[in-house]
This record gives sequence, C-alpha cells and structure tokens, in this order.
Amino acid sequence: MIELKDAQKHFRSGNLKSAVLRGVNLNVKQGEYVAIMGKSGFGKSTMLNLLGTLDVLDSGEYKLTGKSVHKMSRGKRVRLRNEEIGFVFQHFQLIPNLSVYQNVLLPLTYGRKRLGKKKARVLALLDEMGLSDKRNQKPDRLSGGEKQRVAIARALVNEPGLILADEPTGSLDEETTESILGLFDRVHENGATIVVITHDQEVAERADRILHLQNGVLV
Amino acid sequence: MKLLTTFKLACFGLWSNRYRVLSAMMGVVIGMFAVIVLAAIAIGVKDTLMKQMGSLGAEQILVLPGRILDSADGQKDLLSGLTSVPSTLTYEDAQAVEKVSNVKTVTPQLETVNFVEYEKNKVQSAVVGTTSQYSRIQHATISQGRFFTKEEQGAKAKVIVLGNNIHDSLLGKNQQLEDQAGGSSESAKPKTWWKRVLDKLLGENVSAAEVSLIGKNVIINEESYEVIGVLAPNATLGSSTDNNVIMPIETALATTDMKNLTRMIVEASSLDAVDEVDGAVFGALAENHSEIDFSVVKQDQMLGALGKVTSILQVMLVGITATALLISGTGIMNVMVMSVRERTREIGIRKALGATTFEVMMQFFFETLLLCIIGGAVGIGLGYVFIEIWNSNIEIFALVLPFWAVKLALYTSVAIGSLVGIYPALKAASMNPSKALRFE
Repeated sequence: MIELKDAQKHFRSGNLKSAVLRGVNLNVKQGEYVAIMGKSGFGKSTMLNLLGTLDVLDSGEYKLTGKSVHKMSRGKRVRLRNEEIGFVFQHFQLIPNLSVYQNVLLPLTYGRKRLGKKKARVLALLDEMGLSDKRNQKPDRLSGGEKQRVAIARALVNEPGLILADEPTGSLDEETTESILGLFDRVHENGATIVVITHDQEVAERADRILHLQNGVLV
Repeated sequence: MKLLTTFKLACFGLWSNRYRVLSAMMGVVIGMFAVIVLAAIAIGVKDTLMKQMGSLGAEQILVLPGRILDSADGQKDLLSGLTSVPSTLTYEDAQAVEKVSNVKTVTPQLETVNFVEYEKNKVQSAVVGTTSQYSRIQHATISQGRFFTKEEQGAKAKVIVLGNNIHDSLLGKNQQLEDQAGGSSESAKPKTWWKRVLDKLLGENVSAAEVSLIGKNVIINEESYEVIGVLAPNATLGSSTDNNVIMPIETALATTDMKNLTRMIVEASSLDAVDEVDGAVFGALAENHSEIDFSVVKQDQMLGALGKVTSILQVMLVGITATALLISGTGIMNVMVMSVRERTREIGIRKALGATTFEVMMQFFFETLLLCIIGGAVGIGLGYVFIEIWNSNIEIFALVLPFWAVKLALYTSVAIGSLVGIYPALKAASMNPSKALRFE
C-alpha cells in the first residue's frame, strides 16, 4: 500500500536549512494498522503530510497503491488524495459554517467517484457513527467526541484505501478516546489501511505495528 | 469538478458569511445607487433643458440684453461670453424689429419682481409684461379663464393671468405666502410637512376651499388688476411660469416702472428665413443703439451652449462614478482578502479533502463576483425606487433612467467583481494545504 524509500524533507528558515526527515524507509501493507510514535518536533506531522500528499518530498520515492506519488503532477496528487486517502486530525478540522451533514459530504463534492446516491451514503455513515440526530447541527454545537466521529465519517465517506490519523485522540478525554479507538478498530476490521501518528503509547498499542521516528529516521 | 458546483459552493460560502458579506456589499450598493441616481439626474437635467431650449423653436430667434462675446473659434460663447450689463432694449426696439421683413411675430418681455395681494394674502412674484403671443410662444397652457387679447393689450387693459403657484398662494392653498406686513395673516402660515404629504397623497388640498380668482381683482404696487386667467402648472427647471403674473406689455409700461426688456423672442416667417432674419434683426436693433449692447441668438447656438453644459455634467458623472466604483471595488477586495485570511484553515481543509487549486480559486472568484452583482442589483433597485419617489413628489425636473444606464451599471458590477475578485481568488488558490491547516 505504502512504499517510502529514502524519503528526505528539509525546511528553510532564513538561511538555515534543517533536515526533518533524513532518509525514511517505510512499507505498509494493504489492511495494516501502523502507529508512528515520536516526540514533538521529530517530524511526525511532516511525515503525515508527505504520506497524505499534502506536501512533497525533497528527495526519495513514494509509492501509494503502486502509483509513484513523487512523480505525479499536482492535479493527480489532489485526485489521489481525494480518492485514496481519508484524514483524521487532532483538532477535527471541521468547517464551522457547514452542518455535520455538509462536512461529511465535502470529499464527495470534490470527488469523481460514483458512489451511488451521495446523500444516502452520508446518512448511512452518520447513522453508523451515531450522529443521525446531529446531522443539521453546526460543529460548535457538538462535543469533542462527536466532532471526531464526524471527522472519521468524513474520512470514510469516499471509501478510501488509506486512513491517516494525526493524534486522533489528542483533544479527547479517556472515555471518548476509547470510543474513537473502537471506531478505528472497526474501520480496520473492514479492511482499511490505517496509519496513526501519536505520542500516546495506549493509542499506539491498538496498532499492528509501532514505529518510532527519531532524528528524522524511522526505527 | 464542474463550474456549476464551484458556483454553488460560492453561493453557499456567501450565505454562510452573510453578515460580513452584507457589510462588504454596502460599498457596491452605494456605488451603484450613486451611478444610477447621478445618471438619472444628468439625463433628466439634459432632457429638461433640451426640451426648454427646443421649445424656443428652430424658427425663433432670441434677443437678449448684453453682448455675447465670441469664443476663440469665432462662435458665440453663451456660457462665459455673456456680459452682464443693464438692459437697454426697449419696446420701441421690439416695434422696430416687427417691421423687419420675414418677421412673423415679436414677443417682447418686461420682467420685475413685485408683491401681489389678494385680501390678506401677499405673495412675491415675477411680474411679466408681454404680448398676447406669449402663451403660444412659451407653450403656456391656460387651466382656467383665458389669456388677454391683442385688443386688451392695445387698450392697456388692467387684466392679468396668474401662474399656478401664485393663484394657489393667493387663495391660501400652499405655503409659499410671505407675510411681509408683520405676520398678521393666519392663512399665510406655512403648512406642516405632514399636511403637504397628505395633500400629495390625496391629490387634493385638505385645508383650503376650492375657489378661483377668475373675475376677482388683485393688487400689484397699489394698482388693481382683474384676474382673467390661470396658467396650468408648468414646473420646469429654470423657466417655470408657475410663479409669474402676466399682463399686457402696454399695461405694464403704463402702470409699473418697468421700461427695459429682459428679452425678446422673434419668430421668422419660415425656417429658411432664419439666417436672413437673424442678420436683419441685428441690423434693425443696431440702428437704434449707439453701441452693440444686445445679442441675437438662434436656437442652434442655444443648443450648442447647452451641449457644453451637459457635456460638463457627463464628465462630472463619469468622474464621480469612477471614484465611487474605485472606492467600492477596493473595499470589496479588502474584505475578500480579509475573508480569505480568516478562512485559511477552511481552504486547507478543502484542499486536504480534494479541492483543486482551480476549484478553490473559482469558489472565491465567484463569491466576489456574486457579491458585486447582487450589490449592484440592490443599488440599481434602490436607485430606481429613489427616482420613482423623486418623480412622483418633485416637479422641478424629472429624473430619467434609461435602460442603457441600468445595463451599464450591471455590466460595471460584473466588471468590478471580475477585476477585484482575481487577487483574493489567487491568494486562496495559492495556499499550501499543510500550512493552511496549521493556521491559527
């Protein structure tokens, strides 16, 4: 599913150039659940941005479902992102002016995938997440757990092969964390590949494999 | 994704941010309102003046006191070339002009300001002494009674025709009475604004009895005159007859201290004879005057001068419009740039979920464009309402809103929206999604 070879990424700050990823190698199989751990500032988010095609490598190779992402045009990367990747962020990243239903619908709005009736797909997902009665509400009326469930529904709506989650329980209490992790387990059981970036050992332990990002390399 | 979908997203984006959008829209609304109203004023003034000048008739020649100087191109400069000197034109001049060949009629006019009294009411008016031709030449319609005849003119009959306003004021019907004698008259009190509005709405005078002064005597400068006619309302810019009191010129010369003519309208027997009559009238008058202290002007010269005035109005209109649109356009662009900045994270989310650069760009472009079009339409609508209210309440001159002005305003809204929408749209489209998602 994911093949990352000698991936390097630098950031410039004025004249200073600092290496964030120094030749990362990663292989994730279809249907695998992987957790990437690391301290703050060790490049976890950079890693997620690269895997999610939100950013590009300075050097190295990145293949997703066999397609060479590092050689793709921006347009093709955007389409790949829409069709193959679902994001779950720590701070939910819901659009405040849109209702729960509209937030979940958003990837379908931009997508080309024909998934039958879009409305039925969104409503089914909201039902599955226990959010049917909240579908017309704005995100600011929801609890943290509900917001994250909306974000997960949005990540799943396009039936992507890969779910990328960045500290998905970072803003939640213990009880809600457990419920969200339970959802991830269910998504994984349904065959999705999941990569979770976290610094929480408890979250990481739900994964099949735990990797550590240290000094810009995975160990 | 289809353009239609980005358009729908833009509509939704505007609706979601409707309160901010409303404040941004105000600029366009005011700008377009100003464009529509100013265009209507400029065209209304032009039409009214053209109508008045046109009413002079192509075969008519105007004789004015004072000499009109020539401009650099040898033409009479009616705008700045008219010297202000006391009139030396007399009734004898008019009689001399009458003898010029191919002159059909001569309508001399004496004019002064005086008080007209009827019972306790006293009104200031323009007293005009002229001939029986006046009503035809000035297109003045009689609403009651009749105009004086040539025989009455020759017999120095003390008869007068009242302008509509003067007639109503003398009857205490409107507020334009002046209580010069020390505020003794109860009926001379101006009506309150709500009473005037009520009068307008009901189409009638709610506080005054409907009576006519025909056959009654009024006092001007201690002389008594019989009212034989009342002119129909003729409220036009510049030369309304509503506040005039018209009497035969011989009567005016005999009973008032008016001696010199304020103008004279000479009518040629045919259009072909106008140039010849123009020269002959000038010659006839020059014989009676030791110096050229009068001017003879044809209709085309008047219209030429008017063209200059309206051109100035149009240049002013273009200037004001351009300024209004520049300000509103800049305002909208600023608001949209602010909106893009505030919605940075939203842009990041949209891009992360699969929105292309083009789709984000078009969404923000359509938002600005729609904002300008809706704002423009509202401004045009408000302008139209203003013009309707003006035209049904104010009679000085009518505002004219041609369809081309509406179309121009709408096209301008689209042009502004397109122009000022580019920068915010590009700014939104060029955002890096990973950075935008981290925006606080």
